[in-house]
Amino acid sequence: MNHLLPLLVAAPLLGAGLLIACGRRLPRVAAESFGCAVSAGTAALAIWLCLNSSPPLTEWVGAWTPRNGTSVGIVLVGDGPGLGMSALASLLTLASLAYSWHYFDEPPRRHAGSYPALMLLFQGGMCGFAITGDLFNAFVFFELMSAAAYALTGYRVEEAKAVQGALAFGVINSLGAYAMLMGIALLYARTGELALTHIGRGLDTHGGPDALTLAAFVLVLTGLLVKAAAVPFHFWLPDAHAVAPTPVCMLLSGVMVEFGVYGVWRVYGTVFSGPGGIPAADLERALTVLGILTGAVGALMCWYQRHVKRLLACSTIAHVGLFLVGVGSLLPEADDGVALYLLGHAGVKAALFACTGLLLDRFGSVDEHALHGRGRPLRGVAVMFVLGGLALAGMPPFGISLGKAVTEEALGGPLTVVYVLVSAVTGGAVLRVAARVFYGLGPQPRVGSACETTGAGEEPETRHRLSRIPDTMRAVPALLLAGSLAVGVVPGFARIVARSVNEAGSGGALTSAHWTAAGVLLGLVSTALALALAALAVTRPELLGARPWTLPLRRLQSGHIGDYVAWVLLGTTLLGALALPGILTG
Amino acid sequence: MTRRLRMIVLALGGAGLAALFVAACFGMPGFGGDRHPYGDRAVHASLARRTANTISSVNFDQRAFDTLGEMSILFTSVLGTVVLLRQTRDEKRGRPQPQEVALPVRRYALVVLPVALVSGLYVIAHGQLSPGGGFQGGVVAATALHLLYLGADYRALERIRPIGVFEVGDALSASAYLVTGLAGVLAGTAFLANTLLPYGTFNTLSSGGTVPLLNAAIGMEVACAIVILLARFLDQAVEIEEDNGKR
Repeated sequence: MNHLLPLLVAAPLLGAGLLIACGRRLPRVAAESFGCAVSAGTAALAIWLCLNSSPPLTEWVGAWTPRNGTSVGIVLVGDGPGLGMSALASLLTLASLAYSWHYFDEPPRRHAGSYPALMLLFQGGMCGFAITGDLFNAFVFFELMSAAAYALTGYRVEEAKAVQGALAFGVINSLGAYAMLMGIALLYARTGELALTHIGRGLDTHGGPDALTLAAFVLVLTGLLVKAAAVPFHFWLPDAHAVAPTPVCMLLSGVMVEFGVYGVWRVYGTVFSGPGGIPAADLERALTVLGILTGAVGALMCWYQRHVKRLLACSTIAHVGLFLVGVGSLLPEADDGVALYLLGHAGVKAALFACTGLLLDRFGSVDEHALHGRGRPLRGVAVMFVLGGLALAGMPPFGISLGKAVTEEALGGPLTVVYVLVSAVTGGAVLRVAARVFYGLGPQPRVGSACETTGAGEEPETRHRLSRIPDTMRAVPALLLAGSLAVGVVPGFARIVARSVNEAGSGGALTSAHWTAAGVLLGLVSTALALALAALAVTRPELLGARPWTLPLRRLQSGHIGDYVAWVLLGTTLLGALALPGILTG
Repeated sequence: MTRRLRMIVLALGGAGLAALFVAACFGMPGFGGDRHPYGDRAVHASLARRTANTISSVNFDQRAFDTLGEMSILFTSVLGTVVLLRQTRDEKRGRPQPQEVALPVRRYALVVLPVALVSGLYVIAHGQLSPGGGFQGGVVAATALHLLYLGADYRALERIRPIGVFEVGDALSASAYLVTGLAGVLAGTAFLANTLLPYGTFNTLSSGGTVPLLNAAIGMEVACAIVILLARFLDQAVEIEEDNGKR
């Protein structure tokens, strides 16, 4: 079974190769069906391997099994989290391929296969990143998923803003990748190893942490946090999500960004957690501070958006902040909670993007104010959008709520307040959009200030404006929401997730992830808060409207790539400063 | 953000990063030391499989999975370029006009073209023996063809460079790399295992097991990829015009 691990990467890549090789002759239907079939097959393989991943599978590619404890090869690690992330990435790729069935206006002439091929390459990159146990190999697949993501983001190249968004995305993420590569070089200089566990062991035998360890830690984490869109590395995300085709947004927000968090968890746990790495208190401080900052900035930005795709993008930033706070606590229970939260969030966020795509293709706009009341005929979509908003706010029994409850219980104290507030604000913003767009509640909002990005005047992504919504585009968000619900309600699922996360991360600590009365209560509180915020915003728009003090924060999202680069550098320094105290005293 | 504020943020971040780098440099191993744990192991492994060029052994045997990823990045970038630089609705294609080329340039290009092409192919073919290999040789071979653009004109280049064929070649060679890897799984060893073919005699063309095969696949992939990349950019510069006639 070990030998099948590399197939998670090889199958989608081979599928993409064949699609391009035959793509000039293939009709569009055949190319798209083939893409769906390959990603579905990979998803099935990932799920099957995941079910058999205890004890974790390891595979040395090219049969370079270590002799005397050393090897020159690359190791793949098929443990629960890695295979679970591959399964999630594969399922979401399948969902977005199904959603985009016959979707795009104009496939490039004689290149009908290129869109599904890019999606498969994206999937292959994500699967490779998930299962690799080698730091340099992780970098290679990190770059592969980025390259595919840049191309997919700029897909609608006729529009200037698509080019701008994809360019910002490309420049900032490449910068992060270079930082990561330099960090890898430093670790290699110190230890002469590239496999994650071997680097960790090498650092430990060298003695306590010093400036080189700190620099390597900061640089590797910079790369991962840029991908995770943590503040202040986050500026590319709203720009990219606003312009990327909707099916691509589903993948970017649903799973690619989360891979940054997964990478932080994996790299810290295997490389830096030993006595020669970064002391736990430093990581805790760094991730908690950045996490709270990310949550706060994301939630604020989310609340003040009227461009629905940007709003959802900012809510992703906010939730990434919560993931980082959970991962940064280094508690096994919090890891379990974050894993469940991440699974639930992927389904809900992808479903919300899918619903927004329907609005775009039906009305040619994703502007909350311009669409006021126009969504009334779309009753099914309205229900899904409201459910998505409630789930995002943490309403039981969705998976997000379970994950959040488990994490909150582990963290306790003031961090719980952060969790409740951030989810209430992001959920409230989505519910506010739902109330205005689908139910026409409240007065028609006045035209906003000049510096706002409205969502009006967008080109639909389909060939014509849709007069009737195709069944696939309706079914995909429904299934995604059902999946997110299943994470919360399927008995035993949470236990399995918790067990496999702990087996991989915290040495098999016995924890239990299940619903508790306190967790349900907190979920209901944040849902009620979200509903109250939404109701207040709709009925009394001026009360929660734009405030002058938020303007500088929103102006930071300037679209100027130079600004974003400066912030990345500042973020790297901030990360170094946050992790410094333990190195000085240790 | 004003220019001033941007510069302040940049200076703060840059200063911090610079301090971090300088501090890290003092922790680096000294220059010219004799401790190379990975290098020693890699050379040993490469000689055990009779691959004279250790770099190729690392690329196509020991860490062939990395090379798979790198090849896929190139493949993705080419595909992305094809998609992003497509002829959009508001663009049309014009015929490039032949240009007068200075005679020495023309002679030089036409003489050097076959030499450069053969050198590229030589570098690919001897990847397992001498410095070079598929990546380097592929770039040389691909750019050699473009001497025709310098020596003659764009239409001459287009005649010897049917893009469709190169696109299929790109995809097929990428697939060939994967299929060679999958053969290892089918044979019951491991993905990309170099155990299927005999290792041959050290320092001959047919040594190194599957290294020459993977090397050749990469050579073809890189050559095709570079040709398509350049073609897409040249098309934008030379042929594709906006509808109002501007380039």
